[in-house]
Amino acid sequence: MSSIDPRINRLDLPTNEDGKNVLDELEQWETYEVFHQKKRGDQHVHVGIVHSANPELALIMAKETFGRRRQTANLWVVKSSAVTASDYEDQDIFETTPEKTYREASDYYCMDRIRKYQQEHGIKDRKEDRRKKKDLDNKEPVKKETAE
Amino acid sequence: MYGNAQIDSKDKAKSLTDGEDPIKLAEFEARITRGEKIEPKDWMPAAYRKQLIRMIEQHAHSEIIGALPEGTWITRAPGFRRKLALMAKVQDEVGHAQLLYSAAETLGKTREDMINDLINGKSKYSNVFNYPAMTWADTAIIAWLIDAGAIINQVTNSKGSYGPYCRALERICSEESFHLKYGHDNVVFLATGTAQQREMVQDALNRWWIPIMHFHGPPDKVSQHTEVLMKWKVKMATNDDMRYRFLDEYVPKIWDLGLTIPDPNLKKNETTGVWEYTEPDWEEFKRVINGDGPCNKERLQVRRWAEEKGAWVRRALLKAESKYTIPLA
Amino acid sequence: MNYNETQIKAVKEFLYKIADDQLIIGHRNSEWTGLGPLVEEDIAFSSIAQDKIGQAQHIYEILHSLGEADADTIAFTRNAAAFKSCHLVELPIGEYDFSLMRNFLFNHAEQIRFDMLANSGLEPLAKLAKKYRGEVKYHTMHANTWVRQLGKANEESHARMQTALNDTFNLALGIFEESEFADILKDLNIFPGEKVLQYKWIEAITPLLEQSMLVLPESSAWQPVYGGRKGFHTEYLEPMLEEMGEVFRLDPKAEW
Ligand SMILES: [Fe+2]
Ligand SMILES: [Fe+2]
Ligand SMILES: [Fe+2]
Repeated sequence: MSSIDPRINRLDLPTNEDGKNVLDELEQWETYEVFHQKKRGDQHVHVGIVHSANPELALIMAKETFGRRRQTANLWVVKSSAVTASDYEDQDIFETTPEKTYREASDYYCMDRIRKYQQEHGIKDRKEDRRKKKDLDNKEPVKKETAE
Repeated sequence: MYGNAQIDSKDKAKSLTDGEDPIKLAEFEARITRGEKIEPKDWMPAAYRKQLIRMIEQHAHSEIIGALPEGTWITRAPGFRRKLALMAKVQDEVGHAQLLYSAAETLGKTREDMINDLINGKSKYSNVFNYPAMTWADTAIIAWLIDAGAIINQVTNSKGSYGPYCRALERICSEESFHLKYGHDNVVFLATGTAQQREMVQDALNRWWIPIMHFHGPPDKVSQHTEVLMKWKVKMATNDDMRYRFLDEYVPKIWDLGLTIPDPNLKKNETTGVWEYTEPDWEEFKRVINGDGPCNKERLQVRRWAEEKGAWVRRALLKAESKYTIPLA
Repeated sequence: MNYNETQIKAVKEFLYKIADDQLIIGHRNSEWTGLGPLVEEDIAFSSIAQDKIGQAQHIYEILHSLGEADADTIAFTRNAAAFKSCHLVELPIGEYDFSLMRNFLFNHAEQIRFDMLANSGLEPLAKLAKKYRGEVKYHTMHANTWVRQLGKANEESHARMQTALNDTFNLALGIFEESEFADILKDLNIFPGEKVLQYKWIEAITPLLEQSMLVLPESSAWQPVYGGRKGFHTEYLEPMLEEMGEVFRLDPKAEW
């Protein structure tokens, strides 16, 4: 047989006709989940898996499989079997999470209340001058535009 | 046919949803309609799983086999820039196989089973890779136009419903943009180069036009199955749709270079906006996909060589206590 | 650089031999693309090949700045006699044991050479050595991991790796074939010499091979395979170069 690929011509190719399985069970080894950290200070993010016989080799493989094209500071590999995941069937346990606004900073705004109290009791608003100036600054360019 | 869903003629008798729990099926379909992704451990109809395994697996095989026609010129690429780029490009294709095998694995088929099925001819791969890369210019045409076809397919599929496949495709597509640019650059250099280079690239285009037209597979027969697979976002576009998109985007770019496409009937119908062309020989397509192409035998022999020669490495490090777990994502 | 003619000749010869080794071994390793024992390893090995070829290109560019032809011409048009590569890198890829062991022995020599060059008096070379330190470190990590694991995994893998070591060791000693210009390079503070490198190399690989349960041939049996640095090569180099330059040489005026 002669291939157009000189590399292939240097190989002693098998006949390929026995129809037997080439690979035994588990011959491609177990899988490791790969977590990638872009730069120091970032979280590690899950990016995929590699097949490997052991963690040391998994790191060697993960480096090029997942790190060859992106900036990388650090990698973790974890045997897939070592990860315990929650069940998607139970996704509903998280359902009301976004509704609990009492845990959000944005849920707390009492300036109106303070200002109302200040007006009623003649307390000077510390930030009033600054606010007025800001309003003016914002208006000025508009004026110019209309003048033109 | 590059990892696009196709209907197995043996499946025809029964409906794709026969015997499925109607409540679970309704929930599953509602999730897809809402635009949510299906994740590996979710309940899914058997036909969904089967179709996806077949599709992703074939896609993975296409990548690893696809590394061979382009690899044909890896030791002969002219100049450092091309040499390094081709190495990186073929490496990416092997990487795509890695990502896709992993995605298919989450559906419950081991990589060993997939590779065994590939080598024994039980599982297919993209038809185009059964054609030889005769000259350096063939690799340029492959990298530009076959990858262009693949990108159309992959971008379309990346909006499908199965999470792991979409994630793999997203990464793949970002690498494909390099392949496309590299391929185009390569073709441009040949087309605008010496008379000999121009002739090389025109010849390569002539050789590859039919495989390119075959790339997205024969026109789909309209069937209930197709409808279901589209509803499940397994099949995201018809083969013809993808072929039109390809023609629309790339034929003008080929003509820009003054190259001739070997189909006198190829033109865009001004009034309908539809591409007209000579239907490629779909009998040849069938013949080649069923094993009778110029390179089928060599491709599988080489794959077998690689797996057999690597066996001692893998078996040496395999620990008796290892146990297979389906990867998470 | 205010080097005299002989000094420049010495520098060029030195650069050629480093770059030629890297180009040839990188090219050989690239032959594994798509044929490796596992897709992940296929990817890793291709990266290593790319790194080596990229480093060779960089060194050829330094040579170009010293008046030699451009990198592509240097790499793709010279014939074998003009190459300064050692025989170790020229041999066909063989099986994975051979390719891994060749890389293991070569990468360690390269890593130590680059460490030495990081303080070289030849500034562009010192810069280059520092720049690629990480790449070269990964190459040795990769080789160490495989050699250590396969050296002691099972009977077959142990036997294969020991045979590969026996087959490659004398060839690897050929890396350290001394140049007639060694003293000049030393005086110019460019490179302390192949003897020093070989000594450090033996020091580095000995414990690693021991951990791998592999036995280094007795020093009395060492028979370095020399000649490559002087332009005498194995039968494999010329056809390899013809293959590599096949397209490039189709038309020397063409741009690819
Ligand atoms: Fe592809
Ligand atoms: Fe790809
Ligand atoms: Fe691609």
